[in-house]
Amino acid sequence: MKILKKCPILIGIVVITIALSIVSLIFKDTVYAGYADKYESGDIPLLALALKGATDEVFPWSSEESEALLPEDTQGPDEGKEITEEVSDTEEAEATEVGEEPLEFSDISGNDISGNDVSGNSEDITYEFTEVNPDYFTDAVFIGDSRTVGLSEYCEPLDTRATFYAKVSLTIYDVFKKEYIKTDDGKIGLEQALSENQFGKVYIMLGLNEIGTGDNEYFKNAYAEVINKIRELQPDAIIYIQGIMHVTANKSNVDKNFNNEKINSRNASIAELADNKTIFYIDMNESVDDEDGNLEAGLSSDDVHLKASSYERWYEFLLHNAIVR
Amino acid sequence: MVNFSDLNFIFRFLPIFLVAFYLTPVRFRTWTLLIGSLLFYAVGDLRMFPALLAAVVVNFLFAKAQSGEKSKSLLFFILAIDAGMLIEFKILGQYVDKSLLPIGISFYIFKMISYQMDVYRGKVEKDASFVDVAAYFCMFPQVVSGPIMRFDKYLENTALREKTSLPKIVESIEDGLRFFVAGLAMKVLLADHLAMLWNDIETIGYESISTPLAWLGAVTYSLELYFDFWGYSLMAAGIGVMIGFPFITNFDHPYGSGSVSEFYRRWHATLGSWFRDYIYIPLGGSRKGEARTVFNLLVVWLITGFWHGITPNFIIWGLSLCFLIICERLFVLKKFPAPLSKFVGKVNVLVLIPLTWVVFAISDFELLGIYFSRLFPFASSGISVNQGDFMKNIGIYWTILLPSLLLLIPRVFDFWVNRRNRWVFNILWIILFWACVYSLAGAAGNPFMYFKF
Repeated sequence: MKILKKCPILIGIVVITIALSIVSLIFKDTVYAGYADKYESGDIPLLALALKGATDEVFPWSSEESEALLPEDTQGPDEGKEITEEVSDTEEAEATEVGEEPLEFSDISGNDISGNDVSGNSEDITYEFTEVNPDYFTDAVFIGDSRTVGLSEYCEPLDTRATFYAKVSLTIYDVFKKEYIKTDDGKIGLEQALSENQFGKVYIMLGLNEIGTGDNEYFKNAYAEVINKIRELQPDAIIYIQGIMHVTANKSNVDKNFNNEKINSRNASIAELADNKTIFYIDMNESVDDEDGNLEAGLSSDDVHLKASSYERWYEFLLHNAIVR
Repeated sequence: MVNFSDLNFIFRFLPIFLVAFYLTPVRFRTWTLLIGSLLFYAVGDLRMFPALLAAVVVNFLFAKAQSGEKSKSLLFFILAIDAGMLIEFKILGQYVDKSLLPIGISFYIFKMISYQMDVYRGKVEKDASFVDVAAYFCMFPQVVSGPIMRFDKYLENTALREKTSLPKIVESIEDGLRFFVAGLAMKVLLADHLAMLWNDIETIGYESISTPLAWLGAVTYSLELYFDFWGYSLMAAGIGVMIGFPFITNFDHPYGSGSVSEFYRRWHATLGSWFRDYIYIPLGGSRKGEARTVFNLLVVWLITGFWHGITPNFIIWGLSLCFLIICERLFVLKKFPAPLSKFVGKVNVLVLIPLTWVVFAISDFELLGIYFSRLFPFASSGISVNQGDFMKNIGIYWTILLPSLLLLIPRVFDFWVNRRNRWVFNILWIILFWACVYSLAGAAGNPFMYFKF
């Protein structure tokens, strides 16, 4: 007993370590199943399961159902950390899916969209992307992750006119779940914000942070749900689905999640959600890509985000690719 | 795993090693230390493991050869081998492939050089056994990133030589753990978060940061480097204490210094004293007149620059510090009236040192130029600068910046050191430890900055 008194910190650490290890062991194959791979492969000690779970708000008492809905990795490049998690078998699933992509959509999902005719098939009204002046954006709202946050911070003509509902590491899965919009009376959710304010245009760019989660179909469905909800809340707005911006070759060549092949296949699936009447797909990558279809290296210093001085390109693209009804 | 702030190190290697170490009979404990250290190194850098082994064996044999008549040419020969090996690998690592730079080579070679010099000078016992010398060179708490402990300190270890009672063992583990946790917290809770702000500035692009943010960046990077390396050093020293070594002080509140020269006696002190004992003093130190002193300082700082890296920014960094130190020596501390010299010395430490860290941080010349043009915006006004960026980042990072700045005050840390076995601190330290581990579990690893040197 005397000895124990001499080492309170050691005991505090050992006891908690044992407790966490036991919890991790018991729930290894149930609630913590999503992390068990890394333990089995020896990458992390057993007790890390419980802690990793807690980071993602997965606890022993969490029901398995809610766990299944949780993204496998909630951290995107927005967190400044790279993700090394396995994405299990979704990559193969995608590979086949890209092949099955319906032809009729491919002409609007590519980079050759600007200025082209994107007439709807059934309706007789044809909308064309045209150039607009900056005041076009006074009734626009931008929804997005850190990249859209950057647009708001470093593109003054937009920031002074448009509204931004953007947040670092926002995903399509939590865009309606998180209360992330700052108002004078505290933070509110997107649903409330869009019910209280009406906009003429809604621009969305989401999808990079969650690129390691689920497959294209899963992502597309979640995206469609978000679009439907926005449609309900903003019946008269033009909705712009923006293709996810590429990363640089530097990143794309080494990262098994954050690469342009994956981004392109995600973009192809959300492009299908456009009806070209009230919902349009635009892809700003043409304004920032190099000849190989990667984000131009000079435009980014972290390979993922635009440098402040590069947002101008995005803005110019938006000015030249607008729908006027 | 070679990273002390890796969960596998904390929860697997360290506890297993400690148990194995203390279960080994005293006679063989040095072997446990050596084998454990070699395993540790091999896991981190198997490809360059033979380089370490070869250096250990060669250095042991050369030192052994000095046991009779001391030979100066023999000493020069082995020093040339050691220095040549370090230079060669630095060049390979810089110009061919990063992975060709063996982990920790800058540190273990410096230990070897100090050992050779100490043997020649008769400062260490003549017939140190192979296992002692090898364990000293390779010991895992220091092999990756220092501190550059001397062999006489190695010999002060009690656990390797005498039977220790269980209460004594538990006590040293507990006390080592205190410093380990303090260092872990500095690394994980402060340095890694400060790194995020520095990364954000990089993401924005230096041409687009406001001048206040540029200065905040200089402060942030300085703090990040400080807590990263001080944190590492505390962890290394703490592990040393756990296995019976004396506490090695590598950082002695450098930002409390009154001049740049003092700063570098208190910053990375084991490196500074290495340069003093094995380069500066052999060159004649300050005993051969002003001109020779200036020359000696120049040599020391050029080598210090090269030691950190062979890109031009490190050379400029070393030279600018040399320039400051010479100015202090010739004018500020000598000719200025006392209050003024005190003031200038403080300004040098608190304003000029952070600027030298910016030079240290940015290896690309053009980018460095851009950063300085934002720090001193006389020539240009930047591109798409958001003037609100400073307040925005203060708003996000003040919870990290404030404790970091408080810890610059020597008394804050010393307060804890002197009362570290109080109950309040024991409980706080358990909480700190788990806060760090929680943070580590949720994030991908972030290696120590000094690993690349």
